[in-house]
Amino acid sequence: MFERFTDEARAIVVAAVAEARAEHTSHVGTEHLLLAILARPASTSAVALGRRGVDAEVVRTRLNALKSDAAGDDLDPDALRAIGIDLDAVRASVESSFGPGTLDVPAGSGRRRGGHVPFSPRSKKVLELSLREAIRLKQHHIADAHLLLGIIREGEGLAAQVLHESGVDLAALRDDLEHDLRQAG
Amino acid sequence: MNETERLASAAGSRDPRVGLRSVRSLRALAERLEELQVGNARELGWSWQEIAEQLGVSRQAVHKKYAGGRLSLRKDR
Repeated sequence: MFERFTDEARAIVVAAVAEARAEHTSHVGTEHLLLAILARPASTSAVALGRRGVDAEVVRTRLNALKSDAAGDDLDPDALRAIGIDLDAVRASVESSFGPGTLDVPAGSGRRRGGHVPFSPRSKKVLELSLREAIRLKQHHIADAHLLLGIIREGEGLAAQVLHESGVDLAALRDDLEHDLRQAG
Repeated sequence: MNETERLASAAGSRDPRVGLRSVRSLRALAERLEELQVGNARELGWSWQEIAEQLGVSRQAVHKKYAGGRLSLRKDR
């Protein structure tokens, strides 16, 4: 399937894996695909997202908020303060050593040995859907825009959530992308 | 009551809701830190044995937790 990817789309997938690895997460998620897209600001997808006020920083901020909510139940700053632990200070120390957001990834999502980071089932679905979108639009190669269309069509991963919460009209974005793809021929 | 007194009273609280919640949060924090530190040690080339010694657990335990547990019988790298 990857042989049908454009160079740009392939580079995005590779970057998504690298991002997941850098964050020490256990799987490559849809959010890593979205971040990888936005790391290539000249790509059709990034431009379409940029038109709607979405860039890498917007997405990272929302992802950190979403992930903190998820871990929020377990890491209660007040409960820790009650036994003398300043969670903010711990977080600052950890992030300065390991990178942003690394304290707030829930435990048990740790990376497997060997450095290989697999795709989450949802991300695999997104890749599959990107192929189907290309076929649907009668296009020979799977481009970055098809990846974003796949994210939209899957609809429930973190990437889609973040876009939705950022106020992006996903149906309108999809129309934009299809239009851009048809223009490019 | 000033801040220190308030905190001291929370720590000494006999309300299990307070105390157990602190334990839960501390455990979640310890788990997360362990994961990061074990990963870091491995990246720096530490063996499972060395990591286990620092953590005060068996080599098998740490390997099972972080690497699926399929240790070979030869001397661990």
